[in-house]
Amino acid sequence: MSTPLVIAVPAKGRLQEHTEAFFARAGLPLVKPRGARDYRGAIADLPGVEVAYLSASEIAGALAQGAIHLGVTGEDLLRETIADVESRVVMIEGLRFGFANVVVAVPQAWIDVRSMADLDDVATAFRLRHDRKMRVATKYVNLTRDFFSEHGIVDYRIVESSGATEGAPAAGSAELIVDITTTGTTLAANALKIVDDGTILRSQANLVAARGASWGESEREIARRILDRIAAQARARAYREVRTRFPGCNDALLAEAKERFGVVAPFGGPTSSGMLTLHCPPGAVYELASFMRERGAHSIVVAEIEYVFAPENPLYAKLAAGL
Amino acid sequence: MTVDTNISQSDGRAEALVGAYERAGYRRLTPPILQPAEPFLDLSGEDIRKRIYLTADADGRELCLRPDLTIPVSRDYLSSPEAGSPQGFCYLGPVYRDRGALPAEMIQAGIESFGRPDTAAADAEMLALGLEAVVHYGIANPEIRMGDVGLFAALVAALELAPAWKRRLVKNFNRKTSLAHDLDVLTIGGATKQPEYQGVLAALAGSDPKAARALVTDLLSIAGISTVGGRSVGEIAERFLEQAALGATTTLPRETRTLIEKFLAISGDPDEAAAELRSLATSAGLKLDAALDLFESRTGFLAARGVDVGRIRFSTAFGRGLDYYTGFVFELHDPTAPPNGPLVAGGRYDELLTRLGAKTPIPAVGFAVWIERVTSCGGLA
Repeated sequence: MSTPLVIAVPAKGRLQEHTEAFFARAGLPLVKPRGARDYRGAIADLPGVEVAYLSASEIAGALAQGAIHLGVTGEDLLRETIADVESRVVMIEGLRFGFANVVVAVPQAWIDVRSMADLDDVATAFRLRHDRKMRVATKYVNLTRDFFSEHGIVDYRIVESSGATEGAPAAGSAELIVDITTTGTTLAANALKIVDDGTILRSQANLVAARGASWGESEREIARRILDRIAAQARARAYREVRTRFPGCNDALLAEAKERFGVVAPFGGPTSSGMLTLHCPPGAVYELASFMRERGAHSIVVAEIEYVFAPENPLYAKLAAGL
Repeated sequence: MTVDTNISQSDGRAEALVGAYERAGYRRLTPPILQPAEPFLDLSGEDIRKRIYLTADADGRELCLRPDLTIPVSRDYLSSPEAGSPQGFCYLGPVYRDRGALPAEMIQAGIESFGRPDTAAADAEMLALGLEAVVHYGIANPEIRMGDVGLFAALVAALELAPAWKRRLVKNFNRKTSLAHDLDVLTIGGATKQPEYQGVLAALAGSDPKAARALVTDLLSIAGISTVGGRSVGEIAERFLEQAALGATTTLPRETRTLIEKFLAISGDPDEAAAELRSLATSAGLKLDAALDLFESRTGFLAARGVDVGRIRFSTAFGRGLDYYTGFVFELHDPTAPPNGPLVAGGRYDELLTRLGAKTPIPAVGFAVWIERVTSCGGLA
């Protein structure tokens, strides 16, 4: 038997729950045949796949080395851990969970600092006045260095911090911080504010492929099947199925509906008996229903969709193009 | 071209070069290869973190393979009983920098001269000794590039500008795109976002500075804020008020911008440049005398040392991209070889020893010779 395709998923916390839910929705339930405490798993009914449970930062490292084929981890960790990230991995899709912004935050008392340009000036003034450089506490050493460099800031030092970074200014171990935040509540509780143009990265969990992994025929085929299901599920989730009998529907009306509501007609216009099936973004369903009824449509039935298997496989196309 | 992989073994010619420095009165130092990382990160900036080889000791202190010898030699001097007195040192040995596909280990020879009060003569001696080094390797007519960071600092000091803008222009001298951006912002105004408190700032700007500062300090104190993140309330208040001058209300007069640009365009041999600088200063009514006197005195010492001054390509905009230089800077290049970095490079760094912990300022100037480069350019002399 050929070597398995290895997918790494986060081993704990909300990220693990969201990732398992994500694969389950795509019809790819992750299972642990040897019990919940095991760090190796599989995908039910899909042989040739090994699921490795790792920490999110280990996943970033394993992707960089090509030790695994696919992985789910945060974009923040990828960009922090991997130098020249685009050449090492392919970010296939943002998964709409694990949202976090990497931001520059300073004490609220710094009423004279609103922008990175202010911070640049404060940094230089601080060095001249105190004969030492301003300290930035962060675990995002590389992101910080690149971002500060882009803004021309040179008079600072990085203090590596692995936890409770937001407490560093109050504790006196740094003047400001670079850290992740989702709502900003923790920052505010520590009397910190985000610099206006100080958002380094808007991060979310990503499905990522390692360019450096061994991508033989069998691995590609399994990846294609996995990504096909994920794409089908993603497409299904993006739409509601809208069915009606609408003999009066014509090309002009269909074009208008596409234009106004973003609908697609997966099977073309109405059948000879006037049956019409449309896929409509969830937010526009009511407007579309009103629009069609005003123009003579009969009862309209709206339903959630399980999968939409389209002829093309955009996620796999992205992977194949990137390898 | 083949690269000699056994470069850590220094050749006899480099030994002879450093031997000549020793006979000229420079004491040879051999600082440890493994150095505390702190001074390098602090003085060269966080950007070098990706180019140096870092490790840590059992207590978690960061150590690195020395990426240059200026800081190690300076530290050895500062911890010696001679610290503060005029002393000259020379060195020869490997330095380590991550240069991608190129070898990380390179051999440098060089000189550091500390505590000499005769600035112009010491500057000239460094350039002369640097030239001797390339001649020693059979490169007869190197290109001599020279700059003087002190001139730009003097220009900025003489301009009527808000303190914050002065700091920024001097800081950005080594980053020419930032400097161009700064000049744009200064001239156009508005490009910096208006602070929310623009109205308050404008009102405070016209009032008695002491009273305004007291007001802002009091307001911060009412909010229960004392020293936050290493900056005192007074410091925050002071800069808050400076912003009144930084905001959209003040812009750099176009003639001042033209003046800076004219200044940075001046180049040529040192005598031509000095004449141009004097006439620019006179027509603009700027006092740059001290900086220009030093500049001309240095040129005199160079001529006295037998340097053909007419061959020096001076430019006011030339800096070495390193923030610790404070005055004279120079580089020697091989005009016949493809651009591959300088053969010899150095300059004056009067603030470095203070930043390394010296109690009183100690003037310092020096240079380094890139042994692999002079060897490959010089061929078999």
